This record gives sequence, C-alpha cells and structure tokens, in this order.
Amino acid sequence: MLVIKSEKIRRILRIALPFAIMPAIVLLMPKRAQSQYYALVSFAMTLMALLLFLAGFERRELGTRRMILVSVMTALSVLGRMLPLMKPITAITVLSAMYLGPESGFLVGALSAVLSNFIMGQGPWTPFQMLAWGLIGLFAGLFAKPLRGSRLLLYGYGLISGLGYSMLLDIWTTVWTYGEFTAAQYLAAVVSSMPYPVIYALSNLIFLMLLAKPIGDKLARIEKKYGL
Amino acid sequence: MRAFDAMNPAAVTAQILLTACITVFCLEPVLLLISLLCAMAFFIMRSGRKHIGFHIAAIGLPLLFALLNPLWNQHGTTVLFVINQRAYTEEALFYGAVTGLRLAAVLYWFRNFSDLMTSEKLFYLFRGFSPKLALIFCMAVRNLTLFREQMHRIQTAQRGLGLYREGHLLDDVRGGLRVFSILVTWALENGIITANSMAARGYGTGKRSSFTYFRFGKADAILVGAVLLLTALTVCGIMSGRLDWQYYPQRIAPAFSLPYAGTAAAYALLALLPVLCEGKEALTWHCLRQSI
Repeated sequence: MLVIKSEKIRRILRIALPFAIMPAIVLLMPKRAQSQYYALVSFAMTLMALLLFLAGFERRELGTRRMILVSVMTALSVLGRMLPLMKPITAITVLSAMYLGPESGFLVGALSAVLSNFIMGQGPWTPFQMLAWGLIGLFAGLFAKPLRGSRLLLYGYGLISGLGYSMLLDIWTTVWTYGEFTAAQYLAAVVSSMPYPVIYALSNLIFLMLLAKPIGDKLARIEKKYGL
Repeated sequence: MRAFDAMNPAAVTAQILLTACITVFCLEPVLLLISLLCAMAFFIMRSGRKHIGFHIAAIGLPLLFALLNPLWNQHGTTVLFVINQRAYTEEALFYGAVTGLRLAAVLYWFRNFSDLMTSEKLFYLFRGFSPKLALIFCMAVRNLTLFREQMHRIQTAQRGLGLYREGHLLDDVRGGLRVFSILVTWALENGIITANSMAARGYGTGKRSSFTYFRFGKADAILVGAVLLLTALTVCGIMSGRLDWQYYPQRIAPAFSLPYAGTAAAYALLALLPVLCEGKEALTWHCLRQSI
C-alpha cells in the first residue's frame, strides 16, 4: 500500500473518493460488456468503502485503552469462531459496539472477519464480510442506548443482523457466480441458501442470550471502573 | 533473486493482486486457464501433496457452478436436452465452465496469498496506511495465542478444583461457558493493564519502530517493474478487443492473431513469476549441493 505523506493529497483523496472516483467508475463502466466488469466493480467499491471507513478511524482519537479493548474483543470473537460449532462473531461485535461505541464496533466486526479468515480461508469475499460485520457493529453502536435498555430489543437486533448479513453476502454470491445482478438471480441465490440464513440468525440469537450477561456486564463494569 | 517468499511484501502483493485482478476482470478462457495452471503450480510447488481437500474444493465447486448455470440461464441456441420444459443449452454450459474456471483460479491465487502473507508482513503493509489499525490488528493476533494458553490454564485450574464432570455433555457445555466467562474477565483486565503500561512507556508520543525489517532491494525493484510492465501489456491487449469472446446467442471465439498470442504470453509470464522465482532458487540450491 502506498504511503501518502502529503496532507493535501490525502485531504483531496478523502473528498474525491466518495464523491468523484466511485461514481465515475460506476458510470463509466463499459456498457458493451457490463457483465465482465460487475464482479470487479463491486469488489473495488467494497474495498474503497472499507478504506474510507478505516481511514476515518485513523484520524479519530480512540484512546489507548479503547484501542486495546478492541483488539481484545477481536481476539475473543476469533477464538470463538475457531472452536467447533461456535459462530459468536456477530454476538461479540454487537456487545462490544454497545459498550465501546460505534467506531469500536465497526473495527471489531471488520478485523474479526480478516483475522478469522486467516484460519477459515481468505478470499475475494473477505472485504464483503468485513463490511457486513463492520456495519452490524456500527449500527449496534449507534443504537446502543435502546439496546442496552432492553434485552428483547437486543435479541431482535441479533436476529435481524443475522438475516441482514446473509442477504448482504448473497449479493456477492450473485455477482460473483453469474457475473451480473438481476432481481431474479438474487432471489434464486437467497432461496437456494435458504436454511442457512435462518440457522445463522437463530445461532446469533442463542449466542447473544448466552453471552449478553458474561460479556455485556463485564464490559459495563470495565466502562464504569476505568471511565472509558 | 531471492525466493518469492523472501521478496518484499509490497512486491509479492503487487504480483498476486494484479494477476488475480486480471483473472477477475477478463472472461477469456485461455487467460483464465493460464492463470489457474500457474496458481496451481505455485501452490503445489510450495505445499507438495498436502491439502488434497483444498484441491477438491477448489476444482469441484466451480465444476458444480458450470453444471448448474444452464438451469438459471436460458440464453444460447444449441439445446442439449430439456429439463422441466426448460432448455439446457450448450452455450450456457460453456459460459458456466468459464466462470467456474475464473472462480477456481481466484481461489488458488488467494490461497497462495494467504499462505505467503503472514500477519507480520500484512502489518508491514498496513503500517503505511494506518499505524493505529496495524497495531490493533497485530495485538489481536498476539492475543489469540495468549488467550488460548490462558484458556488452557483456566481449564486445568477448574479441573483441579473438581468443577468438571468428565464426559457429561451438559456439564461440558456449562464448564466451557464458565471458562470462557473467566477468560473474558481476565482478558479485559489484562487489556487495561497493557494499555496503562503502554501509556507509561510513552505510546503515541513518537514515531513507532518495527520489529521486522523488510528491505526493498534491487531484486524487488526488478520484480515490481516486471509485474507492472506485464500487467500493462496484458491490459492493453484485453482493451484492444481482440480477445473478446461472444458467448450468447452463439459461441464465437476470436480469430487467432498476433496481439492475441502476445497478450496470452505476457499474462503467462506475469502469472509464472512466482514459479520462476522459486524455481531459480531451487535450481541454485541444487547446484550448490551438487558441487559439495
């Protein structure tokens, strides 16, 4: 990756990327052979969106303690994914986001995806997974107040985020396998993957039920004790 | 030239990502076949006969896609047979095979990439983009092994206290949860202690240095130059349109021409760079041993 030293160029890039470069790529996508470029363009878009998010975090003052806690939670969720039958990444991401804030939630989700894929297999799907889990964390952090107030709401969020995650990744599956994206093909991909999203959403629910107390209460305690 | 593994991470990343990008970007069976064969050759060169399961998955999955494509895809004119009043066309089968080939090639490239790029190398690359993120990432990797050891320690202690009943499913799950809960408490407190210690030692006050030093030498410069040149040649060839296949409604292959052959040759050389690096190193090693 190139190191951009000049502050000026970095600022220009930060504005140009979302408002000029990304729309330009989509609009200029050659019309004659669109299907060839679908996979590439969607991959590039995801990567750029991810880079923008991450570049934003570099500027924000996260605090050393919070940074370390993000790395701790990431390691815990990856450790969970390595155990047989366990898929607690979503649950741990949501819980971290609730107590450590939206930025930390995004980071825990996105980093868990990369790190666990070192074990489960890295692939072109990694950026999509990063974005999907990152967004689950981000939104959990934004709605932290109501989620902390009501367990029922938290469980509901777990179910919805499980379904949302599968739906987001189905977009990738469609683009990748068919080289194009139509509503019918997307529907086919969603239907053909059908038992899994439901199982995944239910497993999220179970993990949230199991972990809400041990992890949530401990994070709340750390937050209170050290005043994060 | 050093072996491909020992090259600068930036050069390795450039080679693999650009080759994989062209694979993703073009739907041209010849280039895809070249890409798949080179990636496979490099993978087998490094890992030998291991990972049979990966080979089966990487070849089998695309094959499945190829066979299934005609079921959704109704384009094409040459009907092979009819299922459920839907035509199963030869063109759709071929198109499915080409997309399957692409998937297999990309799977192999990414497998090579994750085998080559250790987290240390990734950290080196990430550092330029975001030192803070790189640190979090690096510490998470370290925490992973740390927590595993700690989990084992907690488990032993719990067993010693007689809190486990062996071979009982419910007790196993309950015990596992208790161990995890203890681990979380310990991990969080330990994290805070680490943070305090870092702050005490002046983290964030100056420029951070790195443990490993990856040098960017002449060989790396040559490799990056070759990668960029060959990529440019290949992309120019693809852009010229001489390599465009028509898949529907009838399959029409582009006529053989000099640009076609040149593009394929440039791409083959680009994809073969890792194999060449490794091969040359192996040859040198062999010669040195012979002369003893």
